[in-house]
Amino acid sequence: MKQRAVTDGLLMGFFWLAGLFILVVLLAIIAYLIWRGGPFVDSAFIMGSPAGLPLGSEGGIFPAIKGTLWLVLLALVLSILPGLLTAAYLSEYGRGGRLADIINLLVQSMAGVPSIVTGLFVYALAVVSLGWGISLLAGGLALAIMIFPVIVVSTREALLAVDENYRLAADSLGVSRFYTLYRIILPRAAAGIMAGVLLALGYAAGATAPIMVTAAAIIASSSGALLEPVMALPYHLYILFNEHISMNQAYATALVLVILLLLINILALSLHSLQERINSR
Amino acid sequence: MISVNPGSELKEKVTSSIFIGAATISSLLLLAMLLFLLRESWPIWSQVGITGFLGGAVWRPVITPPQVGIMPMLVSTLWVAGGALLIAAPMGFGCAIFLAEFAPVPLAALLRPVLNMLTGIPSVVYGFLGAAVLVKFFEVKFDLGSGESLFAASLILAVMVLPFIVVNSETALRSIAPEYRYAGIALGVSRQYLVLGILLPLARKGMLGALALAFGRAMGETMAVLMLAGNTLKLPVSWFAKGEPLPALIALELGSATPGSTHYQALFAAGLVLVLMVIAINLGINLLLHRLQKGVNSV
Repeated sequence: MKQRAVTDGLLMGFFWLAGLFILVVLLAIIAYLIWRGGPFVDSAFIMGSPAGLPLGSEGGIFPAIKGTLWLVLLALVLSILPGLLTAAYLSEYGRGGRLADIINLLVQSMAGVPSIVTGLFVYALAVVSLGWGISLLAGGLALAIMIFPVIVVSTREALLAVDENYRLAADSLGVSRFYTLYRIILPRAAAGIMAGVLLALGYAAGATAPIMVTAAAIIASSSGALLEPVMALPYHLYILFNEHISMNQAYATALVLVILLLLINILALSLHSLQERINSR
Repeated sequence: MISVNPGSELKEKVTSSIFIGAATISSLLLLAMLLFLLRESWPIWSQVGITGFLGGAVWRPVITPPQVGIMPMLVSTLWVAGGALLIAAPMGFGCAIFLAEFAPVPLAALLRPVLNMLTGIPSVVYGFLGAAVLVKFFEVKFDLGSGESLFAASLILAVMVLPFIVVNSETALRSIAPEYRYAGIALGVSRQYLVLGILLPLARKGMLGALALAFGRAMGETMAVLMLAGNTLKLPVSWFAKGEPLPALIALELGSATPGSTHYQALFAAGLVLVLMVIAINLGINLLLHRLQKGVNSV
């Protein structure tokens, strides 16, 4: 009996340790980045262009911020309509059917495809075969393919969470499926869908591997021209570190990137909990 | 369905086929991707062969005649990902049990968003911190020329896949029917015993699924292994040796491979191998969980 109590105490200690570990990791990452990168982040860093020798050892990261925004925007434009239509099909039109089962499986498998393989595919298709070259357009396409399954799954979950009674009532009134979806289901799931889209957006903004082979350049103006290479925050961070350009600049870039993504994440989480309150009403 | 307005039936048919069409076409993208990779890499499969490519120990794609064997990279990939799971599994399961059974409600409400935020930190930042802090630490502490190793990569990958293990395992623990819990409590066993003796065996398959998904993720991760594993093309002999997992190989060499060359084709073959391994794991888990409980859909 005594031995049991000791084992139980040790187990409890381990469970608490494991639980608190994740909190410690997150706080440590943020605190360390603020400590090492914070002093170098100011308006000149955010709004300036890379300068110094080697290029990037001084100056700012504005072209990288701009490039990342362009890439994410393009990825969203390309993936949102197919994503929403697929999700709506899975939850409203084909639910329970054989085709929907297969599509669900394909989407789930797509979510598991390593992002570098997506990059590889887009490299061969767009950069080489279609002759787009290393370009914003190719990078946007790679990111769009990468976030498509994320948008589908989160939208599908948000739509499925809407009370079934609305659908039954609409059906019994003879209202068309599309009208039901558009006027009744969609408004009720809007916050959840937005949350999913925001998460996808953050995912795209942080992705490095797919844009590294399709879109990113070490130095570019990131003007938004579709067939020009762009700079991007995550790739810029990689280059600053890997080419030994500047550790201070690298820490500062990492801090900006992480803060940006955490803000997106927090916004998505609050939209998600707003959706949960709507659903339980 | 009885329709009030005869024209609306046609409209309904049209809109519904738009949805079906869009869903089908976008989902077929995956198959298109696989076929495309297969087409680009076809000469490798027909000339070098599956065993020659997977089992070959030498990767010298630009000499004549080129030698393309990916065994060292394949072993590195599996070693790094398996090692990451070895580290992450105890922590992940412990944390999932904590959240599902023991955490005070306010603490659990704090920890769940924390898990989400950890997944929101991009892999390049994990890789950067790992390389700048962890690798430096190894170099100073053990007096190494360079601290990069499969182990360093596994350690950082473990942190990256931890949230996925926690979330999916917690879901598995929570999906157990409450009757088992009541029975355990009625028998007067401790809550720790209840978890280990009753709940864990019941959630076994779901937790195994969580591990397998994490394994797939760890295998396909690029930036962290690129920055931490050391990037040598030799066959790794231990966890503490350097290696170059497949994603790092592709990321490093794609830009310099001439389209149409053996080098280029071999990189596509490597990509195909990687993606097929990940998909096979996902499908296997899907079958396993489907038999257990239809409708469980872990993301």
